[in-house]
Amino acid sequence: MSLLQSVKNLVRSHSIHVAYVDVGSCNGCDIEVLACLSPRYDIEQYGIYVHNNPREADILLVIGAYTPGWEEKLHTLWEKIPDPKAAIAIGNCPISGCLFNRPHSLVDPPVSKHIPIAAEVPGCPPRPTEILSAVLSLAPLVFKDYEVAKR
Amino acid sequence: MPLPIFPYLCEIVRLEWVRKFFFVKTAPLVTPSHSRGFPELTGKTCTHALFCMMACPAPGAIDVIKTTEGWEPRIHKGHCIRCGLCVEACPNGVLTSGRILESMFYDHTRLSFSFRIDVDTNLCMGCGNCAVACPVNKVIDAQMAYGGRASTDQLLLKVSEGKCHVLYPELCTGCKTCENHCPNEAIRVSRLLEAVHIEEEEI
Ligand code: SF4
Ligand code: SF4
Ligand code: SF4
Ligand code: SF4
Repeated sequence: MSLLQSVKNLVRSHSIHVAYVDVGSCNGCDIEVLACLSPRYDIEQYGIYVHNNPREADILLVIGAYTPGWEEKLHTLWEKIPDPKAAIAIGNCPISGCLFNRPHSLVDPPVSKHIPIAAEVPGCPPRPTEILSAVLSLAPLVFKDYEVAKR
Repeated sequence: MPLPIFPYLCEIVRLEWVRKFFFVKTAPLVTPSHSRGFPELTGKTCTHALFCMMACPAPGAIDVIKTTEGWEPRIHKGHCIRCGLCVEACPNGVLTSGRILESMFYDHTRLSFSFRIDVDTNLCMGCGNCAVACPVNKVIDAQMAYGGRASTDQLLLKVSEGKCHVLYPELCTGCKTCENHCPNEAIRVSRLLEAVHIEEEEI
């Protein structure tokens, strides 16, 4: 492995930029994601930064059961994230539609139909620790030796 | 008088502080034991009472399946909202989650429930999906075929003359399987759940 690659690996492991998008949730999972920023969980000590700008993000947290207003928009947003990138489904909503997935409701889960989802965190809502460990365990899989794997 | 810059720096750049600034981590985060996680099996015998499925508010979260050792509830992550109602509803204590069972024991609370099954004969088209899907029917007549054709009349649900009929409503467990399989939303199971407090003498 080249020296440049090891430097990239080191830097990337301490700089995971996260953007989150709510595609129609009850707000429960948004609250849990934001709780990760609180001193109790303090994600910045692990090198995770919340940047709500897809152009700067490495990881996209998708929350919510995908309402019709997000058709086209979610995919555009995903395209804007520079490689290497990964999306994590937070909560039951993007996985199954949770309690909203009933006859005559407008939601269109799972979100993996619309953009590629690399990991799923079940729960309604998941605990902040579960969100944190999902981000931390996914990040090395996606970002470590990215250039080598691409070749 | 020269500026006391050196003593000042000594106060600020203490090795301990510097180390804390760069390397501090909060204590490892563990899930506390009282946290209500996904329900787990206690190992007690499931009697296929299906009250867990009756109480569950989340679509597709729980199924009771038959394994080689007998019946066993299966929780589907991604659907289950960890409400713990199945833990409270089970009469045999098969499921556990957090300290729900302990607090039910100490607080003398029980889940009281009632349910009712209705078929809208205007909507029903007699397809028999409900009768085939019903797990109680399955136990009575395992050979029940497409369209709800069965050899016996001792069934909970039976299709006759192009309509679904509820023959023995007292057998129903309220599991909602029929409701989920009806293409026309003709069959409805309505449930009423209430937490009740039991006086100590009654136990
Ligand atoms: S998974 Fe539950 S808490 Fe999260 S957005 Fe959906 S309904 Fe709300
Ligand atoms: S905890 Fe609640 S949502 Fe999960 S299986 Fe039990 S009743 Fe259903
Ligand atoms: S009639 Fe419906 S609710 Fe009652 S046991 Fe059968 S499937 Fe379950
Ligand atoms: S109640 Fe629904 S599933 Fe049952 S026979 Fe009628 S239409 Fe079919």
